[in-house]
Amino acid sequence: MVASTFGRSGGRILAIAGKEVLHIRRDPRTLYLALAMPVVMLVLFGFGISFDVDHLELAVVDQDGTWASRELVRQFTASKEFVVSTESPSPEQALRDARRGHVVAVLVLPKGFARAVSSGGAQVQLLVDGADGNTATQVLAKAQALIQVASPRLAGEGAPLPAPPVEVRIRTLFNPGGRSALFVVPGLAAYLLAIVAVLMTALTVAREWERGSMEQLFATPVGRMEIVVGKLLPYLCIGLAQVLLVLTAGAWVFSVPIRGSLPVLGLGALLFLIGMLGQGLLISVVTRNQVVATQVATLTSMLPSMLLSGFIFPISNLPAPLRLLSTLIPARYFVSVLRGVLLRGNGLEVLWPQLGALALFALLILAAAMARFQRRLD
Amino acid sequence: MSAAETRDLELRDVRRSFGATQALRGVSLAVRQGEVYGLVGPDGAGKTTAMRILSGLLRPHEGSATVLGVDPAHPRGEARERLGLVPQRNTLYGDLSVDENLHFFASLFGLSRPDFEARRERLLHITRLGRFTERRADALSGGMYKKLALACALLHRPRVLLLDEPTNGVDPVSRRELWELLYGLVHEGMTLLVSTPYMDEAARCHRVGLLYEGQLIAEGEPRALARAHGVSPSDFESVFLAIIARRDGRAA
Repeated sequence: MVASTFGRSGGRILAIAGKEVLHIRRDPRTLYLALAMPVVMLVLFGFGISFDVDHLELAVVDQDGTWASRELVRQFTASKEFVVSTESPSPEQALRDARRGHVVAVLVLPKGFARAVSSGGAQVQLLVDGADGNTATQVLAKAQALIQVASPRLAGEGAPLPAPPVEVRIRTLFNPGGRSALFVVPGLAAYLLAIVAVLMTALTVAREWERGSMEQLFATPVGRMEIVVGKLLPYLCIGLAQVLLVLTAGAWVFSVPIRGSLPVLGLGALLFLIGMLGQGLLISVVTRNQVVATQVATLTSMLPSMLLSGFIFPISNLPAPLRLLSTLIPARYFVSVLRGVLLRGNGLEVLWPQLGALALFALLILAAAMARFQRRLD
Repeated sequence: MSAAETRDLELRDVRRSFGATQALRGVSLAVRQGEVYGLVGPDGAGKTTAMRILSGLLRPHEGSATVLGVDPAHPRGEARERLGLVPQRNTLYGDLSVDENLHFFASLFGLSRPDFEARRERLLHITRLGRFTERRADALSGGMYKKLALACALLHRPRVLLLDEPTNGVDPVSRRELWELLYGLVHEGMTLLVSTPYMDEAARCHRVGLLYEGQLIAEGEPRALARAHGVSPSDFESVFLAIIARRDGRAA
């Protein structure tokens, strides 16, 4: 009796899932949107969002015109991090270029620079365009490092240098080259999956309400749970295919490694997708309208996944209320899982709290969707 | 067999509102086994609300509804196993073919493969849709679409069939065919509740209930109602207008 009930229930779930597959086959744009869009966007954003700063346009005001001043400029340009865009006779002229945004920094080498280098008290002036704070910070750091490296050469090869009291040897773990792609791609993957997954389910259920086919479904013995599971199954499979495609594109195009546990990554992706699909379901059950569902789905998946997930802005830098709010955003935990597995080589022993949070979110959002999804038209 | 047992469908003093609009204001009716009951009334009279309450899609705010003795909105869905519904709107899947729609609804009702094949053949035969099995539902004519909706509602051999304005937007030839099809079902012992805004269709029913502004203002056999108002049974529109005029005159 129980087996027969489960059998009939399973049959109805498969019927709903099969019908969804037919809808997708009839309108392959859904499939293209779901599979191609994340990969295209990953590649575009992956190249577009870069915190790597090089080929910085520099204006040079060399008022000294000596070997020492030219050597310092050469040191700046040797690594290709800076390129000399203009050589100006005066700081005023160079500042005009900076105001027009033609250069990000102005290097002023005053008259008597070479002499001052010999006597050990040389100064140069670096004027940095602070309108882009991130670039300005990196310009300052790079310039200081370059000058530190160039100083002994300018002072003369044989000149003795005092040993620093503390020497710091820095080694960057997990991303030694400091490549932005390794930081951006995992976050981007979570962001794109969140948007597509929420949008797909929000539309598919709202469409049933709008067309009236929900009325026909409710007149059959199919239960709420069967509708929900049957509806989610095909989109869960599409979502998992998305994860594979995005990770493959990340590895192939951006050389993002997979250093940790693949099963943990798979589990994280599964839980995250269930949560996102559940969120889409809740939106469509509440709105019952495709246009409104699209707007709400875009808003509630895009903004939190971008701003509160740690994808771009470190969570530790957020103001306390937003930091607290970010604990409710599943993308935050999935970004941690992705970075943990891909870059840090983490497994279950490290990532279980994030997986637990994803499971809890999925459970709660599905329960909320089920509670709102009444098997009636009122 | 007691009288109560022969009532396949029943509304008891049902009231239902949507915001400030009172769709049903204390409607009571009973449909006997094997009967064609016509729920006749103009647009906005409350016919669809009554249909939806009987099919468990809406709950009454007051009063009660039963289908074959059980609450149609009960979560266990006993009534739904024995009830078929043809809604007023085109609610099938337009991008699915005739066959795919039939197969989908058969799966929801748990029909076995051989049973489905037998039912499919029979229903395609009686609805004359056999030549259109590959055609998408939204490419069917109005009459063929209604026949497909009827076929989907009949797959699981329901004992009671609710049809909400099944001939709405259907050409006269298809209307006649549809009614012939419905008589065939009644002949097999099915109970039918048919709502319609077309007064001439009332004459095709065993009994009719005239629904007006959420109230059942008259009920009986079409001929008896016509006789009582001194009008020809073929001119049921005049019967309806006379009943409304008398009611409004009383109210004034």
